[in-house]
Amino acid sequence: MKACRLQLLSFVCVLSLVVGVTPSSGSSNTLFIGSATIDITPSRPIALAGQFNTRISRSVENPITATAVAIETRDGDRMVDCAVLVSCDIVSFRPTVPAPLQEKLKKTLPGFDSSKVVLTATHTHTSAVTEEGAYKIPKEGVMQPAEYTEFLINKLAEVIGKAWGKRQPGGVSWVLGHAVVGLNRRAVYADGKAKMYGSTTTNSFRGIEGGEDHGLEMLFFWDKDNKPLAVCINVECPSQEVESRYTINADFWHDVRTQIHAEINNDLCVLGWPGAAGDISPHRMYRKAAEERMLKLRGLTYTQEIGRRITTAVKDVYELAKRDIHTEVPFAHQVKELALPVRMVTEKELAEAKTQAEALEKKGDTGVKGRWFQRTVDRYNKQNKEPTQTVDVHILRIGDIAIATNPFEMFHDYGVQMKSRSKALQTFVIQLTGPSCGYLATKRAIEGGGYSAVVQSNRIGHEGGQMLVEETLKTINELFQ
Amino acid sequence: MNRCPAKILCSSRILTAGIICLFIITMTTVDVSAAELWIGAATVDITPNPPVALAGLRVASTIQSRCMANVLALESREGGRVVDQAILVSCDLCILPGIQEGLRKHLANQLPGFDNINKLFLVATHTHTAMMVLKNQYDEKDYGDAMQPKEYVPWLYEQMAQAVKKAWNTRAAGAVAWGLGHAVVGGNRRVVYSDGSARMYGNINDSKFRHIEGYADHAVHILCFYDLQKRLKATAIALACPAQSVTNREVVSADFWHDVRELLYQRYGKELCVLGLCSPAGDQSPKLHYRKEAESRMDQFRGLTRTQELGRRIADTFVDVANVIARDIRDSVSLVHLVQQVDLPARIVTDAEYAGAKKMCDAMDAKKVKGHTEWYWRTYQGLVVDRYLAQQKGGWKNYAIEMHVLRLGDVAIATNPFELFLDYGVQIQARSPAIQTFLIQLASAPAGYAGYVPTPRAIKAGGYSTDVLVNMISPDGAQVLVERTLESIDSLWNVPAK
Repeated sequence: MKACRLQLLSFVCVLSLVVGVTPSSGSSNTLFIGSATIDITPSRPIALAGQFNTRISRSVENPITATAVAIETRDGDRMVDCAVLVSCDIVSFRPTVPAPLQEKLKKTLPGFDSSKVVLTATHTHTSAVTEEGAYKIPKEGVMQPAEYTEFLINKLAEVIGKAWGKRQPGGVSWVLGHAVVGLNRRAVYADGKAKMYGSTTTNSFRGIEGGEDHGLEMLFFWDKDNKPLAVCINVECPSQEVESRYTINADFWHDVRTQIHAEINNDLCVLGWPGAAGDISPHRMYRKAAEERMLKLRGLTYTQEIGRRITTAVKDVYELAKRDIHTEVPFAHQVKELALPVRMVTEKELAEAKTQAEALEKKGDTGVKGRWFQRTVDRYNKQNKEPTQTVDVHILRIGDIAIATNPFEMFHDYGVQMKSRSKALQTFVIQLTGPSCGYLATKRAIEGGGYSAVVQSNRIGHEGGQMLVEETLKTINELFQ
Repeated sequence: MNRCPAKILCSSRILTAGIICLFIITMTTVDVSAAELWIGAATVDITPNPPVALAGLRVASTIQSRCMANVLALESREGGRVVDQAILVSCDLCILPGIQEGLRKHLANQLPGFDNINKLFLVATHTHTAMMVLKNQYDEKDYGDAMQPKEYVPWLYEQMAQAVKKAWNTRAAGAVAWGLGHAVVGGNRRVVYSDGSARMYGNINDSKFRHIEGYADHAVHILCFYDLQKRLKATAIALACPAQSVTNREVVSADFWHDVRELLYQRYGKELCVLGLCSPAGDQSPKLHYRKEAESRMDQFRGLTRTQELGRRIADTFVDVANVIARDIRDSVSLVHLVQQVDLPARIVTDAEYAGAKKMCDAMDAKKVKGHTEWYWRTYQGLVVDRYLAQQKGGWKNYAIEMHVLRLGDVAIATNPFELFLDYGVQIQARSPAIQTFLIQLASAPAGYAGYVPTPRAIKAGGYSTDVLVNMISPDGAQVLVERTLESIDSLWNVPAK
């Protein structure tokens, strides 16, 4: 067992530390802040990402946007470190976006280290597909993924450039609030099996598999006159309440933005950051009738209700945040590449994947499910030659808080481990940052099975998840020594 | 009330029929038609002058906040005819062994028109800084001049009786509304490690820490009671969290319920009667596992103590919900109240558990002078021994509880006497046909200790709250409790049992 663990640990190697990081993050430097928002709504129908079936948008219910906050610390005239934090209304980033965006930024923002862009998806399932071949999409009357991707990259470069260009002396404050938004979506049954969105009304239902975190970590950024520029809200919930619609919709983040603009400040940039929420969603697992009744009495949709809960939490801490603005703080931004062990496909899983892929092909399935199974077959064929997968993580220290990103739909428990063992006062755990790497399920979830914890859903297994936790914590805690 | 384990065994044997049985002590023909609702409410202080013995081997010399009993009396009438009745008493006490039975006796023949005293039931908020009410686990000499149960309990009965009579006698036609809100108060308190073991309040700053064992439920269930002019008179607020956040444990304190009440008094007037109800929360508490410093910093920013902050969250939720449900106040609703005696399969004491308990009892008995801890644990270890011996002879196979199930309009209310793990409460809520299901634990406590009811996964992982010492019923018994509760609720909605 020990030997096995050592062998696995040897897989984890930090491949590179990005240049420009000060060895010690403890010293305070002057903050410069810029922020901007941009509309990324397509002008024509597009294919929508996030479900197995193909959906073409029929209308725009509300705009999808990207929002950026640029942070730079300076010692006199010398840049010490920087970051551009970007939140984008998209289901996830495919490899088609981050790397080409970095290349573009090298041209549009010469001198700017484009690896310092922290690109996060809110996980709205009513936003664009950004890779060709994933779905069978009609060629006529629909904006194709490649065209939208180019449009998106241009928009992201533009908003990053704007935020970077607008940076000025400013301040930051960090606060904690609470809102009940994300709910654990895995039901467990008497036989020990688990199912995402499984029925809770059957007599074999025994409980919800894991927990939830209703803490809202918040970062406020201010200009030199203490006027609010931006708020980053870390909510342990993906924005997928209206996930099956055939419309463009930013989901609950639209309602959060609208309500914050109406009730706090119309110019405030709002960045939505999903926490560790692979097993979390806004969907109610029980008590649905009571929730529906309250919505009716309030006259709200559920995304509006989520917007109300988050906005109430933001308003509740706003004045407290304003009383504790820091203009000089320790700041560091590390970008690490981690090689994590892949989840090995077993012979049994291979056989099942083959059978399913063939059956779907025979049925003429046009969705992505066939590819989902086929990828598992492909993985089996190369897993001995390629036993690890490299992922990028960003670890930042801003004053007393830490930010730790990962590219997964990471299960709640890993986030709790990070928050529990971090030396930071508050630890913002942000998933779906950079090119997406699928679900990162826990050991107990894998044992329970079900979508999100089966091999097709997991490129990295729970051993890799634990390694991600340890490497993240190691870096955070070094920054706070 | 002052019953030794042997006496508890006797009563259990009498109740045990060897099979699970369910019989209704008091059950009117189930009439779920809407009727006029009469409402009475009263509040009484149940805090004696310190020093006073506290639940859990301590003495309080000061009062941080006063413990109260809040009483709600309900009666439905149709054409002048009484349809059904209920009196609910919520007490700022830790546990209520035998207290309900004692109060019923104390009130005998003093509630004119209250047809069946068994329809009066008591619930505890589980504050750990309240007065001791159980005598047999302690040596009186250990508490000096502090007030002890033999003196406190009779006074408690009289205080509560006055409030019950006031609530009952002042009942008048009124109205009710119900609603659901959310407040982050309770959290799961069982920490699981990489070897699969679990520990209540275990250290999470440990590389072996893997996850929090189970779910937490941040729902706040709210019932509002009004007079016919729609003025708020009383409220019952249920959440899955016991009142046990006070860290200074040498004081009398009603914990966060005091702060909830103070905030609601400020807004709605001092006459408002606020009943705090604890939903199934055997694995929950308001204590934080992580983010402690961040929470503490925010409390400091606000200038609040932790109980004040928790009170603020609950009171804010109440105000938010009360404003919304004021649009749906009903003055004509169904009220049906079932009182049932349910036998639940007991947890069977194994040979090894018996041997361990026997060894501890023998060691403690050998000591001439017993300290606080010995007095306390000797009772429970002795009970394990007695349970084992009784089970070997074919007894103690079931554990009898009193269960109340009510329908009030679209709301179901169901009680149990345990510290019931949250998952069971989730099962009941998920499968209930009611629009909203209020669950109340630590209700209608038997004379002895009802203990925790953990889930199978919790028992497998171990740790305090899952040991045979504090588990009277088995997970199978817990599942029977779920099914019986649902059958009763279903019967009130005319839904065939699932």
